Amino acid sequence: MSNIAKNQDWFKLDNSAKIFPSVSNHKETNTFRVTITLTEKINPENLQIATDIMLNRYPMFKVKLKKGLFWSYFDYNSKPLIIREMPFKICAQIDPRENNGYLFKVMYRNQDIAIEMFHSLADGGGVMMLLKSLVYEYLVLEGKKIKPDNLILTKNEKPEYEEYEDANVKYYNKKNRKHIPEEKAYRIKGTQISDDNTGLISGIINTKDILKLSRENEMTITEYLASVLMHVIYKTQIQYRESIKSNERPVKIFVPVNLRKHFPSKTLRNFSNFIKTKMHMNKPDISFEEIKTVVKEQFSEGIKKSELIRKMSENVAFEKNIFLRMTPYFLKNYVLKIGYNMLGIKLNTMSLTNIGRIDFPESMKPFIKGVTAYINAGKFNAVNCAVVSYEDQFKITFTRSIIETNLEKEFFRFLTSKGLDLELESNFVEEHS
Amino acid sequence: MKYCDKCNVKIETNHDYCPLCHQTLEGENEEEVIEKYPDYQTNIRGLKSMTKRIMLFVSVTSIVILLIINALTGLENPWSLVPIGSIIYFWLLMTVGIFSRHNIAFKIFVLTITLIFLVYLIDEATVSNGWALNYVAPILLLSCNLAISFIIAIRKINYRDYISYLLLIVLFSVAPIILILFGVVDVLWPAIATLGFAIFILLFIIFFFPKSIKEEIKKRFHA
Repeated sequence: MSNIAKNQDWFKLDNSAKIFPSVSNHKETNTFRVTITLTEKINPENLQIATDIMLNRYPMFKVKLKKGLFWSYFDYNSKPLIIREMPFKICAQIDPRENNGYLFKVMYRNQDIAIEMFHSLADGGGVMMLLKSLVYEYLVLEGKKIKPDNLILTKNEKPEYEEYEDANVKYYNKKNRKHIPEEKAYRIKGTQISDDNTGLISGIINTKDILKLSRENEMTITEYLASVLMHVIYKTQIQYRESIKSNERPVKIFVPVNLRKHFPSKTLRNFSNFIKTKMHMNKPDISFEEIKTVVKEQFSEGIKKSELIRKMSENVAFEKNIFLRMTPYFLKNYVLKIGYNMLGIKLNTMSLTNIGRIDFPESMKPFIKGVTAYINAGKFNAVNCAVVSYEDQFKITFTRSIIETNLEKEFFRFLTSKGLDLELESNFVEEHS
Repeated sequence: MKYCDKCNVKIETNHDYCPLCHQTLEGENEEEVIEKYPDYQTNIRGLKSMTKRIMLFVSVTSIVILLIINALTGLENPWSLVPIGSIIYFWLLMTVGIFSRHNIAFKIFVLTITLIFLVYLIDEATVSNGWALNYVAPILLLSCNLAISFIIAIRKINYRDYISYLLLIVLFSVAPIILILFGVVDVLWPAIATLGFAIFILLFIIFFFPKSIKEEIKKRFHA
């Protein structure tokens, strides 16, 4: 039975969302961007109309962030969301005051439609749904004959309650919430780019080729890419420099897991967890084979249902802590900020987000050229990687807050040395740093 | 399509170097290429920023000069607090009142409360006979209450954004009565008029928007 939500126009922040407003700033923006490239130039007027239609369909995005006594919350936003041309900065901090209070932006350039979103509102899975709906409504306005085929939520369906539930709480298990302390991770070194600008390099390869390559190594694509990243970090940053103190820290790659694929939920809000690969690399010779074995084992360990529930429950238990709950919001803000800056942020070397394969209805495919995903690179996680695939295009996008491109260079050269054809895209941040 | 023979990659761009290894690209574009990503736009420091800087310079130097003169003429009479307070209030008026994008109820609320502090300060620094708390404070609260109610009345759609400030100002309107009870204030009628109007507004909200008060409390106090 569909449970149509009536009149609800304010929302509590979900479990994962609660931390972000306290710990985000102009460097660690916690925003991410997804882009769909169409085959024709974008018409801004129709895009604005499509945006308005879409916002009415998704009440949980038509909100602004407000402070309460104990927690902040999302309150109904009566103002319109104005679309804008794509700026140079990628995943910049979203200033709600310059955005009519909204925590996400709709942007366009040439053939691209992009949504940049603050992580409190939704995760990659949720925002992809939103962007697909937006592109659908836009193409309809452009007079294209397309059908949603149950792959896209259109303006005709009413919003359901499940779309904005906090699914983390639903699967919370009191008995399985053990907290396991973690050690700090190795940090990629480099020279900061000025003005909080972000460097970007995307590589497009053929989906079948990369799939074949990972199958030859008996791994999934994500596992394979994580192994290559570990290998490249080792080669460019650590090997033969074992005596340096900071190199003793383990290299850890944070790989978000879309929990919608593991637990039934229709939610559009944050519902993801993570797997982490971890390896001490201060040894003179670590072969790629060794790294692969470790990564494979850690993935199969991390993806177990009980482990995913444990990580989820650990977070929910933290939120349910009566002392934290009863602390006024402004104090909580400081506590979370200090805790995160001292430890939370330092637990990962980089993150590798695989948004997965994006499906469109057959009738829409002729109008869609490609999909790209980006995540912000901050001061500690100086290089981050997001991966998305559509049809036979497999797109790996690196964002970085440092000038050096060694890691990307070695990563892509590793792939081309395996015989893959590679096409690059870049924002050429070098021109301005 | 250009090509980097060191990295073995293709790239479509007008730039001549490879983003990975920064060496020269081979090949030429067959046709005009539109760059995938926009060019960098420098922040142009506009007229507003320059004016702001001059104003800030003038304000800060004035405050320093006032303090020095006040110190030379004897600190037992702190007259310089009057112009200094006014300068600070001017900045608040500009930043919060005019240039900020907060909603108007918030602006009125903040400016009223700070203005009460300012007039209290002026009163204390000059004649010190209680005119600020006796007359100005309650009348300011009353007019603030009136202004926010008026705005809500003519812009019905947005009342939910404003109602929390209205409730806050109603709460603040009790303050003059409390001051009377503690004997700080001795003129009764402005305080009573303010409280009377606040009670009227509160009853109005309770009778006509009962749900919104409940909602607002639920939102603000959920733990």
